[in-house]
Amino acid sequence: MKPAPFEYHAPESVDDVAGLLAEHGDEAKPLAGGQSLVPMLALRLTRFAHLVDLNRVAALRGVSRDNGSLTVRAMTTQAAVERDAEVARAVPLLARATPLIGHFQIRNRGTVGGSLAHADPASEYPAVALALDATFELVSKSGTTRVAASDFFEGTWQTCIDAQQALVAVHFPVWGGRCGFACEEVARRAGDFALAGAVAAIEVDDAGAVRRAAVGLFGLGPTPLRAHAAEAELIGEPPPTPDGYRALGQLAMRDADPVDDVHASASYRRRVGAHLVARTLASAVEEARQAHDPPGAARAR
Amino acid sequence: MTTSPLQTAGRFVGQSVKRKEDPRLVTGHGRYVDDVTVPGMLHAAFLRSDVARGRITRLDVAAARECSGVHAVLTAADLNDRPAGPMLPSMFADGSQGISAPVRPLADGDVRFVGDPIALVVADSRYVAEDACELIEVEYEPLTAVVDFERAADDTENLVHPELGSNIASTMATPPDAALDEALSRAAHVVTETFYQQRQTPTPMETRGIVAHWDPYAAALRVWMSSQNPHEVRRTCARILGVAESRVRVVQQDVGGGFGQKYFMPRDEMTVVLASHLLGRPVKWIEDRRENLLSSNHARRDRATVTVGVDADGRIVGARIEHLEDSGAYANGGTGGTGMFVAMMFPGPYRIPRLGWSTTAVWTNTCGRGAYRGPWMMETVAREEMMDVVARAIGLDPLEFRRRNVIGRDELPYATASGMVYEHVSPSETLEQAASLIDYDGFRSRQAEARANGRYLGVGLGLYIEPQAGMGALGVEAANVRVEPDGTVNVFVGSGSHGQSLETTVAQVVAEHLGVDIDAVAVHQGDTDVAPFGGGTGGSRSGPILSPAARQAALEVRDKAIRIAAHLMEAAPDDLEIDGGVISVRGTPARSTTLAQVATTAYQQSDLLPPGMEPGLEVISRYKAPPVMYSNACHACTCEVDAATGHVTLTRYVVSEDCGVMINPMVVEGQIAGGVVQGIGGVLYEQIVYDDEGNPLTTTFLDYLVPTAAEVPVIEYGHVETPAATPGGYKGMGEGGAIGSVPAVFNAVADALAPLGARVNRLPLGPSEVLAAIEAAPAR
Ligand SMILES: Cc1cc2nc3c(=O)[nH]c(=O)nc-3n(C[C@H](O)[C@H](O)[C@H](O)COP(=O)(O)OP(=O)(O)OC[C@H]3O[C@@H](n4cnc5c(N)ncnc54)[C@H](O)[C@@H]3O)c2cc1C
Repeated sequence: MKPAPFEYHAPESVDDVAGLLAEHGDEAKPLAGGQSLVPMLALRLTRFAHLVDLNRVAALRGVSRDNGSLTVRAMTTQAAVERDAEVARAVPLLARATPLIGHFQIRNRGTVGGSLAHADPASEYPAVALALDATFELVSKSGTTRVAASDFFEGTWQTCIDAQQALVAVHFPVWGGRCGFACEEVARRAGDFALAGAVAAIEVDDAGAVRRAAVGLFGLGPTPLRAHAAEAELIGEPPPTPDGYRALGQLAMRDADPVDDVHASASYRRRVGAHLVARTLASAVEEARQAHDPPGAARAR
Repeated sequence: MTTSPLQTAGRFVGQSVKRKEDPRLVTGHGRYVDDVTVPGMLHAAFLRSDVARGRITRLDVAAARECSGVHAVLTAADLNDRPAGPMLPSMFADGSQGISAPVRPLADGDVRFVGDPIALVVADSRYVAEDACELIEVEYEPLTAVVDFERAADDTENLVHPELGSNIASTMATPPDAALDEALSRAAHVVTETFYQQRQTPTPMETRGIVAHWDPYAAALRVWMSSQNPHEVRRTCARILGVAESRVRVVQQDVGGGFGQKYFMPRDEMTVVLASHLLGRPVKWIEDRRENLLSSNHARRDRATVTVGVDADGRIVGARIEHLEDSGAYANGGTGGTGMFVAMMFPGPYRIPRLGWSTTAVWTNTCGRGAYRGPWMMETVAREEMMDVVARAIGLDPLEFRRRNVIGRDELPYATASGMVYEHVSPSETLEQAASLIDYDGFRSRQAEARANGRYLGVGLGLYIEPQAGMGALGVEAANVRVEPDGTVNVFVGSGSHGQSLETTVAQVVAEHLGVDIDAVAVHQGDTDVAPFGGGTGGSRSGPILSPAARQAALEVRDKAIRIAAHLMEAAPDDLEIDGGVISVRGTPARSTTLAQVATTAYQQSDLLPPGMEPGLEVISRYKAPPVMYSNACHACTCEVDAATGHVTLTRYVVSEDCGVMINPMVVEGQIAGGVVQGIGGVLYEQIVYDDEGNPLTTTFLDYLVPTAAEVPVIEYGHVETPAATPGGYKGMGEGGAIGSVPAVFNAVADALAPLGARVNRLPLGPSEVLAAIEAAPAR
C-alpha cells in the first residue's frame, strides 16, 4: 500500500497549475483533499508521474454570491460548505447534502471540486449539481471553458475534464420563489457512500401547484442521473397524494440503471431509489408549500 | 450501567481500577512492532498470487533483482528447503493432532488462493520493495478453483491440495443412535432448519507485523512481533531454524488487537524469519490492510443443519446438528476442524437429552481459516437461532421456550448429552436478568402497538455457555512475583495481553493478595528472555488460569514476608498483617515494619533471616487449570427494521453475564463491549466475498464494513456472580461478547420480520438481504 514514485508540485496560482498541467499532460494529476486520490495511488490502482497539489492556491478557495448564482471555488472544503451561512441560504440543497458525505474528518479535507471531478456515481454533490443545472468552470493554459452539468459527467469516475484542465469553480443557480429541497440516502453505515440516494428541488406557485421540479439520483447508475420523466409528471400539477408520490418514485426508476455489488443488488437499489424519490419529493413539496418567502429569507429570520 | 452488587469485592479485586496501560495508549504513545527500528534493517514485501488456483508457468525475478535498493528477491527456490521443522503451531507440529495443509514458505509450482505468497522482496524501504514486486513477471495456467464450500467435498477432480487426495480436511460423526431416532419420532413437533454464517476476518486495528534479526555472529535470533503468544513464536522460530530455544528471544510490545489472528505464528512471519536467517540482516515486514483482508486469515464460514424434537409441553427431547466448515486453503492452527467443539458445545445451556452430530471441514481455494474470538461459535449461532425458529413453529414465545428448557441451578452439576459437565454456571439467572433489564414483557406490548402503526420492532436473545479449555499446553500459566529491595513489586507473566488489560488486572490480583498498593506493582509480559514460559493470551484463558498463578505467587511471597517480619519483630506470624506495604501487628499498628525493610533484609542482610530460610523475596508459581471451565451469559437486543429500506437500527442492547469473581468490572464490561461490536458487525455489516473464480471482492475497508461507534447502541450490563471452584473463583469471558451477540442481533431482526412472513437463515443481514427476505415472503 505504497504509491508508485511520483514528483510532487505545489503551485500557488491558477496560472502555475495550468502551466504544470500543460507541461505534463496525461502524466499529471491534480491533488485536492486527497481523500479519493491518495487511497487509489496507495493501492496502485492508478499512478501518475506528477501530482499537482492545489492546496496552496488561495484563489481556489471560498464561496461568493452574485445575482442569480452561488460560486463555490473548487478547493472549498466540504466542511467549509457545511458551515457556510450563505450556502445554506442560497443553495440549501448543497448544504443539506454535505453532512451525508463521509465523516467529519473526511469533510475537513475533501473538497467540492474533488468530489465533482472524482465523479463517483454514489456521491451526493454530483447529483446536486446535476439537479440544479450547475455550471462547471474549467481552466487550462488556453483559457476558461464553461460546461453545463448535463455535459460534465461522462461515466463512472469520468468527466469531460481533460488532462490539461483544472476545475476552478462551480456555479449553482439560486432558486427564488416558494421552494423546498430534500436530500436522502440509504448507506450501510453512517458515513458510507450511498447505496442509493435522491435529491429533490421544488418550486410551487401561489396556488400551490408545482412550477419547477428537479430530481437527481445517485448510486442508481454509472453517473448521477436526472429523473426527467418524474419531473415532467409533476410540473403544473397540484401536490401529489401519497400514492402519487409512490408512483413518481417508480417512474423515476425508469431513468435509473443501477448495478449489483457486494453491498446491494441492483433490484434493491431500484426499490429503495423509488422510495427515496417519493420521500424527498414529498418533503420538498411540503417545504415549498410552507414557504411564503424564498426559503433563504424565511430561514434567515 | 451495572446492576447486581458484587459479592466479593476486595480492596483491589472487584474494583474498576483504571487501566495502567491507558496513559500511553490513549495518548498515542504505545509502542507497536512498526515502531521498532534496528540498525541495518531492511524492509520486505510479498508478491502474492492473483489467481485462486493455477500452475505457475513462468516466474522471472531478474528485473526485480536489478531494481536499485533491492537486496534480495526470494522465491520458493531460495527458501522452501530451509525450514528445519514443520511450519505449524507447536501443538500440531509433531503431527499427532489436528489436520494440516502442506505449508511451504512460498508458492512452489502452483498457487492455491488469491494472496498465496509467491516471492518476498527485501529492500531498503517498503516503497522500493513494492516497486520491485511490480517488476516480477509471473504467468499462470489457471485451473478451476474450488470456491463453494458446500460443493468442495464432492469435488474429486479439482483438489486444493493434490498431496492430500481429497478436499475433505476432516470428518467425524456420532454413531447411529436408535434412542435419538425414537425420541424424534415420538416428538410432538420436529423442526429442521439450516443456518449459515458468512466468512469474516478479525481485522485487528494493528495489522500483523514482524522484525526478525538473525545475527550470524551471535548465532542468535531476535524477533519483535505483533503476537498474542510470544513463547509460541519462540518455539516456532527455534523449530523452523533448527536452533535452540535459548538462542531465540521474542519480544511482544503493545499489540493493537489480535482476536485469535495472532495466537499462533502465521506462515508469512515464519517466511520473514527464514529470510533474515538466509540474509543475516534484520528484516521488517508490516502487513498492510489489503494483505490483512486478503491473506491473513478468515473465519466463521459455516453451515449447520439442525433438527430439534419437542414434546407437547415445549420441552426438547433430542437434537441433531450437521456441521460443515470452510477451512480455506491453509487453516491457521486451532481451527480447520472446530467442528468437534461445535458439536460438544451445541447443547449449550439447555436440557437436550439426546444429541447426534456430524461435522466436516473442507479445503477451498480461499484464504485459510483461523481462530477468531469464539472460533467454535457456530454452536451458539445455530442453537440460539434455532431456539427462535422452533418457538415460532410451536407458537411459544422464544423467552418462554427457553425458560422451559434452560438448565436450572438445582440441576447442577449437569452432564450434557455430549458429555460436558457443567458446574457453577447460572444460565437461568442470566436469562431472567437479561429479560428483566430489557423489559421483555413491556417491549412485547410496545412492539404490538408499533406493528399496528406499520412499524417493525424485534427482540432477540442469545444464551450460551462459554468453555475455557485448560487441556495440555493450554492448561498452565505462570507468574513470577518479585519484591524488589525498595518494596515495590515486579510481576513477570507469560501472557500476551493485546487489549485484555492484564497489566492492570494481574496487578490488582497481586496487590490484593500481597497487601501492597496497586501503584507499587508493575506487570511485565512479552519478552521471552524475562517472562516465565506461558501460553500467551487467547481462548479466554488469562483471567481464569493466569490470575490464580499470580494470586498463588503473591500469597506465597506474602507468607514469606510475614515470616521474615515476624522474625525481625519478634512477633507471631499469625498476628501480623500486610496492608499498603506496611506489616504490623494486628490491633497494634504502632508495632510495624515495611515490606521494603523486609525485602532489603531478604536480599542484602540474609544473616538476619530466620535460620535456614533461603534469601530473596521472589516466587514463581504455576497454576494447572481443570481441563474445562465454564462461564455463561445472556444477550438481549431490540431493533427496528425499516420495511421500506431494509435498514436495521439497534435500539437497546443488554448483556447479563456470569464470569465468576470479576477482577475489574470495567475491564469485564470493556471486553464484552468489544465482542458485542464484533457480533453486531457479524450480523449486519461484515462479509468477505469471493466471486465464482475465487477472486476476493472485499480487500479494503470500503468494502469490508466493520461497525463504528455510530452503529452501536449503548450497551447495558448486568452481572451474576457464581464463583468458579478454582483459586480466586475467576472465569474466562474474553470471547463471549462476540458469541452471544450474533444470535441476539439475528433473532431480533428475525423477530421484527416475522409478522411480514419473512424468513432469514443467512448472515449478514444487510439492507439488501433484509429487503430480499421481505420480498420473498409468501403473500399474506
Ligand atoms: C471513508 C470515506 C468516506 C467517504 N464517503 C463519501 C460519501 O459518502 N460521499 C461522497 O461524495 N464522498 C465520500 N468520500 C469521498 C470524499 O468526499 C472525497 O473527498 C472526494 O470524493 C474527493 O475529494 P478530494 O478533495 O479529496 O479529491 P482528491 O482525492 O484529491 O481527488 C479526487 C479526484 O479528483 C481530481 N481533482 C480534484 N480536484 C480537482 C480539480 N480542481 N480539478 C480537476 N481535477 C480535480 C483528482 O485529480 C482526483 O482524480 C469518502 C471518502 C472516504 C475516505
